[in-house]
Amino acid sequence: MTPPPRPSLLERLRDPSERLLGALLLAPTFALLALIVAYPIGRLLWNSLFDLRLTGGGVPRFIGLENYQLVFTDPDFWNATKNTLLITVVTVPGALLVGLGLALLANLPFKRRWPVRLALLLPWALPLSFAGLIFAWFFHTEYGIVNDVLQRLGLAEQRDPTMWLLKPGWAFAAVCLTIIWKTSSFMALILLAGLQMIPKSLYEAAEVDGASPWQQFWQVTLPMLMPSIVVALIFRTITALQTFDIPYTMTRGGPGNATQTLAMLIHAHTIDYLDMGYGSALAVCLFVLSMGVSAVYLRQVGRQAA
Amino acid sequence: MTQLTRRAVAVLACTAAVLWSQPDTAVAQTAGATKLRVFSGGQNQRPDLVRKLLDQYQARNPGVTVEIETGGATSELQRQYLSTVLTAKDSAIDIYMIDIVNPAQYFGAGWLEPLDAYVGPASEVFKPYLPVYAQSNVVDGKVAALPAFADAMFLYYRKDLLEKHKLPEPKTWDELAATARKVQAAEAAAGNANLQGLSLQGAPIEGAVCTFLLPYWGQGKEFNDAAGRLTLDKPAAVKGLNTWLGMVDQGVVKKNVAEVKTPDTVNEFKAGQVLFAINWGFAWDRFKDDADSQVKGKVGVLPLPAMAGGRSATCVGGWQWAVSAFSKHKAEAAKLVKHLASPESSKLLAVEGSLLPTYQPVYTDADVVRQAPWFSQAAAVVVAGKSRPMSAQYGQVSDILRTTTSAVLARTKTPAEGVDEIDARLRRLMR
Repeated sequence: MTPPPRPSLLERLRDPSERLLGALLLAPTFALLALIVAYPIGRLLWNSLFDLRLTGGGVPRFIGLENYQLVFTDPDFWNATKNTLLITVVTVPGALLVGLGLALLANLPFKRRWPVRLALLLPWALPLSFAGLIFAWFFHTEYGIVNDVLQRLGLAEQRDPTMWLLKPGWAFAAVCLTIIWKTSSFMALILLAGLQMIPKSLYEAAEVDGASPWQQFWQVTLPMLMPSIVVALIFRTITALQTFDIPYTMTRGGPGNATQTLAMLIHAHTIDYLDMGYGSALAVCLFVLSMGVSAVYLRQVGRQAA
Repeated sequence: MTQLTRRAVAVLACTAAVLWSQPDTAVAQTAGATKLRVFSGGQNQRPDLVRKLLDQYQARNPGVTVEIETGGATSELQRQYLSTVLTAKDSAIDIYMIDIVNPAQYFGAGWLEPLDAYVGPASEVFKPYLPVYAQSNVVDGKVAALPAFADAMFLYYRKDLLEKHKLPEPKTWDELAATARKVQAAEAAAGNANLQGLSLQGAPIEGAVCTFLLPYWGQGKEFNDAAGRLTLDKPAAVKGLNTWLGMVDQGVVKKNVAEVKTPDTVNEFKAGQVLFAINWGFAWDRFKDDADSQVKGKVGVLPLPAMAGGRSATCVGGWQWAVSAFSKHKAEAAKLVKHLASPESSKLLAVEGSLLPTYQPVYTDADVVRQAPWFSQAAAVVVAGKSRPMSAQYGQVSDILRTTTSAVLARTKTPAEGVDEIDARLRRLMR
């Protein structure tokens, strides 16, 4: 007996094996991912190895790791990294706490739920740069509502108003406050969805066992909500590391560079200074930072799932 | 429309033309209207008047239609937008109006078409213009752009208040501070406690570059040599910044000066809250004509004061017309630029918008002087004015100067720290 002849490629495609079918079905996804993820990242890494200053009009020159050497000796880079990490450390837990409060509030049995939900959604629906511009007006020394209210309450002198956005500490706090306001509604949305997944029977059982509302929150709500919290934290942390719009529109990174983030530094070098090589090296650093933080989170999630 | 879809549409159109039309109609189509697109800056660059110039041109050149695009309220916002468009080698815009600080950078990057072939060599073309514009628009001996209108920083002041308190016009910054304190004290006694002595730009915007340079130049010091190398005299720079901080301490300049942008100065002066204001030439028209101006007929203009023992120095500004290196209609665009940069156009901008002329004779033109009497003296101020450093890396130079100046004015850095930082950073860029 001779084995049957190997089917031709066309025949195999017409009647694919399970493995081949799987590969075929995955191919478009892989192609798309390669195009929109792998290629840009590869290109970024490649660009970061060149002297790519568009202002000179010259030809790109391969300089190996020189851009990275400059990055690591650049005080601006370390300042921006410090600011970015500080913003992350302050605004992620801040938004989580405020968001959790909002979600719990929105989950109360209101007669009409839509106004609550709408109020929850609004800050999220507002573009980031709008939020930055609006809050910049709030904190303006002379025209801002913050100083106006403080003066009306007698908490501040009209002669000597606080210059919120001109003092490094206050400017940083104002930026963080704006980010928390803006992002906590996204947190709240995810957490609200999580809250509604918790079966009522658990609370009924807890009540039967004589648990106070406080105990119910710690023993039922919070553990059941954990998966939602982790998801929300991952999203929020990654976007916090990329913070750009709000400090850019509020303070321009000022005073000096007290509120400049990594993303703003990248923007300055690529768009303002047209130094694509150096900007790419900075972007690679931000990419590595984001990947590192995500990896830590994902390991935590993996451990929890196990 | 993206480049790709535009190309696809073009290919389709060509195929259709080949398949269905007679050869002669295809020729007629290409010989038809030329469409040009002009980027003409933000509101302060008066796109309404540019539109008038374009309409003039269209009427005289049938077959040419010109679209106008505006955007970017400030010079650095425009620079960001144009950098993006030009880095992408976008051919959609044929002509750009650019700030005086940009020709070196844009030409160096290969974004601007040298105009020599269309308008003649630089040595000839710039003869009729104010000389300072030849310096900034000729890069490596080539015509990079032609001047649209001139600008410089002036000292605006409330004529009525100086007359009321019988005080002379100040010649130095110290005199200005003393005058302002007297007027402020007298006005406060009369119930107007909110009068600012001097309004200047301390926010980290392009104007803050001039805020740094004015009291420095005013001591007779140079910021850079002819080759563009940094020649910063650090003690003089510290003294310059201390001039402003001293005025803040005296209550002449308001405390939050590091928040003040160009429009803030304009609006607060218009509202009658300011005695002296440093601003560009365009502000005259706003004080004089704006419906909400409270100071109509009460405004005077002076050359900027000098530092004690120094000389008056101003920051030269102004806007230029340049042809994109990526334009598909360079010859037509260059022809239009020639019209836009003509004495006739300069006069129209001066008469209707009080935009400073780029030609000496236009300053003393009867129609112009009727609109803005101070123009007859303004030419001398512009001619004596100084250019900000020309650098292919101007974007970064400007960022360093304005960010640091603003931080010093916000008192997050001492003047000495700020000047050390400027020196250390610029020394690498301007060598």
